[in-house]
Amino acid sequence: MSAHSHVDGHLPHEPEKATLEGRNKILGFWLFLGGETVLFGTLFSVYLALRDQVLDGKPAHELFSLPLTALATLLLLTSSLTSVFAVHALHKLDNKALIKWLVVTVLLGIAFLILEIYEFYHYVHEGHGFTTSAFSSSFYTLVGFHGAHVAFGIVWISMIIRQLSKKGLTVVTAPKVYVAGMYWHFIDVVWVFIFTVVYLMGKVV
Amino acid sequence: MASNHTTTEESNKRHRVEGPKKHVIAFIFSLVLTLIAFAAVIGGEINKDFIYIILIGTAVLQVFVQMAFWMHMKDRGHQYAIIGILGGVVVVITMVVMAEYWVWW
Amino acid sequence: MSHTHTVKRYSGLMDWLTTVDHKKIGILYLLAGGFFFLVGGLEALLIRVQLWKPLNDFVGADTYNELITMHGTTMIFLAAMPLLFALMNAVIPLQIGARDVAFPFLNSLGFWTFFFGGVLLNISWFTGGAPDAGWTSYVPLAGTTYSANHGVDYYVLGLQIAGIGTLIGGINFLATIINMRAPGMTFMRMPMFTWAIFITSALILFAFPALTVGLVALMFDRIFSANFFNPSGGGNMVLWEHIFWIFGHPEVYILILPAFGIISEVISTFSRKRLFGYSSMVFATMLIGFLGFMVWAHHMFTTGLGPIANALFSIATMLIAVPTGIKIFNWIFTMWGGSIKFTSANLFAVGFIPTFVMGGVTGVMLAAAPADFQYHDSYFVVAHFHYVIVGGLVFGIFAGLHYWWPKMFGRILNETLGKWTFWTFFIGFHMTFFVQHFLGLMGMPRRIWTYLDGLGFNEMNLISTIGAVLMGVGTILFLLNAISASFKPKNAGNDPWEDGRTLEWTIPSPAPEYNFKQTPLVRGYDAFWKEKMDGHKGMTPAEPIGPIHMPSPSILPFFMSIGLFIAGFGFMYARNWGHIGPLNTGYTVAVIGLLITLGCMALRSIKDDHGFHIEVHELDDKGGKA
Repeated sequence: MSAHSHVDGHLPHEPEKATLEGRNKILGFWLFLGGETVLFGTLFSVYLALRDQVLDGKPAHELFSLPLTALATLLLLTSSLTSVFAVHALHKLDNKALIKWLVVTVLLGIAFLILEIYEFYHYVHEGHGFTTSAFSSSFYTLVGFHGAHVAFGIVWISMIIRQLSKKGLTVVTAPKVYVAGMYWHFIDVVWVFIFTVVYLMGKVV
Repeated sequence: MASNHTTTEESNKRHRVEGPKKHVIAFIFSLVLTLIAFAAVIGGEINKDFIYIILIGTAVLQVFVQMAFWMHMKDRGHQYAIIGILGGVVVVITMVVMAEYWVWW
Repeated sequence: MSHTHTVKRYSGLMDWLTTVDHKKIGILYLLAGGFFFLVGGLEALLIRVQLWKPLNDFVGADTYNELITMHGTTMIFLAAMPLLFALMNAVIPLQIGARDVAFPFLNSLGFWTFFFGGVLLNISWFTGGAPDAGWTSYVPLAGTTYSANHGVDYYVLGLQIAGIGTLIGGINFLATIINMRAPGMTFMRMPMFTWAIFITSALILFAFPALTVGLVALMFDRIFSANFFNPSGGGNMVLWEHIFWIFGHPEVYILILPAFGIISEVISTFSRKRLFGYSSMVFATMLIGFLGFMVWAHHMFTTGLGPIANALFSIATMLIAVPTGIKIFNWIFTMWGGSIKFTSANLFAVGFIPTFVMGGVTGVMLAAAPADFQYHDSYFVVAHFHYVIVGGLVFGIFAGLHYWWPKMFGRILNETLGKWTFWTFFIGFHMTFFVQHFLGLMGMPRRIWTYLDGLGFNEMNLISTIGAVLMGVGTILFLLNAISASFKPKNAGNDPWEDGRTLEWTIPSPAPEYNFKQTPLVRGYDAFWKEKMDGHKGMTPAEPIGPIHMPSPSILPFFMSIGLFIAGFGFMYARNWGHIGPLNTGYTVAVIGLLITLGCMALRSIKDDHGFHIEVHELDDKGGKA
């Protein structure tokens, strides 16, 4: 069963749900995302409580750059779309297209990260460091945690790309793709709240 | 783990894979909502409270669109996904309400 | 097809280090949790010895603070929760007719992270000071200004690592209960213990991430000079209390709901009667779980939140008494008219009822915010929570252990010793904590390392200490029971209590490696009892006999946990260990630890686990190699 018995060499439709392990992984991951919701929610609550405590650092509306935020949003949003195309290719059982779209997703994710690293570097030079104030500590923790999640996702999806090219699309690799796609959408969802609550609201004076 | 069951009945059904059109529409919708949010902030002369409402509104809408279409939450078989996320959201709303109340009190 | 890979089977120590079998993992949790229970109990005895008379100098003030901190932290995180996980692991898959949990590898990982988190926390005793800021670790006491040594760092990192294990376990049991029930077992046919664990797991899922964030923030403040809780940096100290209690209140419901589940099982079995009001029990448990997230600030009435907030949290807190009361009445109505057998398990269950009610009503007293201004930080609070945690949770655990011991180990614990355990522990418990209500009302504050003579505290403190010793005796009696039982032959039958109502009693004791030779078909609530009442000896199978696919053992969870353990040390001692060349030694060690963990995760992702098969001819009816 499972990995070593393809039914007549054909992959079933929705291969990620074809095995109990696959269905368990997907359910388990939804539950994990519920927990991640609370994790980020707590980080947001802390940020909301502390964002006015700027001390002598630069306040949010002077610090943030809307064009940069818009670009970052565009990159991540597009990468979420390409990950949807990847899952679509998964359901069409097309391994080559799947790999192609995952590669694009990863590249967009890397671009987002580079932009964010540059942004943080710039802020530190503007006098907005991690230890500057309660606002800065909570800012870097919230946005940094998100960035760390993006980085982890990039590594994870890259590993899946490698496994797909070596082992092909099977009932074992399919759930991995699906779950990674869920993860990637989730961090885009979190970003929607970050750019809204942190950057946009920060610019409202 | 269960013993030898073959894959689900769906392997027998000829299932039409829906195109990515809905997903692209969701993408465009998300872009538009993002633009509205940015415009509200850059736009200038709008009342501050109103801006906040627009920002929260567009964010919630965008998240809803992404989760319903990209994460298939509108499709059947996702009851536990909905319960899982909704549970987290309920806890978060409680926390955020308290955080805002506490800061503005 | 099934023999294309060699079956890797370990024995001895390696078997236990690599097991992904929920039954063995349950035993591991029992051993580790039991060990930490003894540690926490020793800490309690030392506390009580220090307090038996005024102006005692058995231990100094600093040591006393370490003792109370470690007693609370150990008992809650390293003893109570693991013991509950032991029962969850031992029983849940059996109760729902499954062959394992949804994620056997993660199950093992959950255990080892808890274990190494607990070891990390307790190593602090030997490395210059255990955490001493209370189990709630309030700032600014827990910040670097007032806790300059590494004690609180051990708290932060040890709990963080152990907490990961708990979260993993919560997700595991949620997925297991949702996806892996036997055919015919709808949600409303699940045993009450399974329901309790289901809701508890949801609480774990939503409460522990808040603790994660709080510990991260405290760690960042202490180790990286962040400003979350530092007022001179714009931070806020009450914020810590909010975050901690947003986790902390659901945590106490995580502790008690499984006990409620155990009580339901034990009372209905030993009354030979169906649980009264099953649907209302389910609904009440859900309500308690939900409301548990809405009441956290009742731990903070005196922090100046204002009358509106205080009033709202007061009312929400009192509301929880309603579904809880429903449960109490349902247990009583279950026993009413039943044919009651007072086994040790049932003694603990029945002893639970009045004791927990006492704890509950003092809780309602505390919930009245204006009154709480008097009770806060006094021994009245200490009495309340020990009544609900010990009189509730620990009694429940003892009941569950006596009840399910034969299923886990194939031997029944000695009933006479069990009764002695009950009575010494029960009487000792009430002696210890009943008087503490009055100590609190008389004005004795909590967390004080000594008190003056002539305040009227002397006699009651003495009684309390004697009671604690008696509890210690009861615990030792239980240990003796467990040890002596291990020398007896494994001859418990499938259904040693003869009145089993649920699926775990349909298979051999101890359960064979694969649990069920054939997945059973469930035709109603109290699935086994239903078959008995219809004249059947056992369950109808839902599938033909066939080879059974099992998950492979793995050493990776063990190493992943060690990686986190090493990383913890690295972060903690980064400011003390100097540099190797340009690199900070501590951070380098931390990175190495994290790389070990991440590397194991990568290995796990790359190497597929095909598992192995148990062939039909290997399936036997006797208890297998448990």
